[in-house]
Amino acid sequence: MEELYRTYAARGVESVFVYVREAHPGEHLGPHDSLERKRAHAGEFQRLFDVQRPILVDDLEGSAHRAFGQMPNMTYVLNSAHSVVFRSAWTDPDTIRLALDYLLGVQARRRAGARLAPFYSELQGFRWVDDAAFQAGLARNGPRAVRDFAEATQRWARGEQLGSLAQRRAAADVRPA
Amino acid sequence: MTADDYNYSVFPPDDDVEVFAGWPEALKVGTKAPDPELLELASGQMVPLSSYTRRGLTVVELGSLT
Repeated sequence: MEELYRTYAARGVESVFVYVREAHPGEHLGPHDSLERKRAHAGEFQRLFDVQRPILVDDLEGSAHRAFGQMPNMTYVLNSAHSVVFRSAWTDPDTIRLALDYLLGVQARRRAGARLAPFYSELQGFRWVDDAAFQAGLARNGPRAVRDFAEATQRWARGEQLGSLAQRRAAADVRPA
Repeated sequence: MTADDYNYSVFPPDDDVEVFAGWPEALKVGTKAPDPELLELASGQMVPLSSYTRRGLTVVELGSLT
């Protein structure tokens, strides 16, 4: 995403990263219990990945995250009227590049005098899956993050709906001894 | 939702199923986006998201280190 940021900044596109809750907390990178901790994690993220985009930290209750749909790593493109012109449930540079090229093309065609009317469209995106890198990230977060994801994966493989913690506790309560 | 509920300590979060199921109908293309006040890491100041988007097309990625 940093390469995409640099490429499109030269074409007048802004980019920001909104720092939200930890998706896979562990012993080394735990859940945020204060805004200071959240801010520190955002700084660590900036250093670790050499993030050049402006980083904006959400509040402790996740007000912005929840208002935008609360997916763990989603991306929106907004226009100058602050309206959504693209959204993606997962962040995938190839998909975003496709959208930006199209939207910049629309701007160019309009400047050239074309009459263009908006319409609604959708796209099936495909993102890279890199299990080794994902597991390395979990290990960086701490052993608990590795264990929690492994347990969730096993339950998903069995076709179980994980549901809420309250539901899971209730299920555990009625499990035979 | 309290901060403790939102910042879960055990993956997956309580709201996992609801979030994924609700995404298709969440903030859709063509609608006005929320304009939250956010802490700008570089300056330490609270700024509205629109202070960036008013300049033109803006890529807004939401995520975390983990």
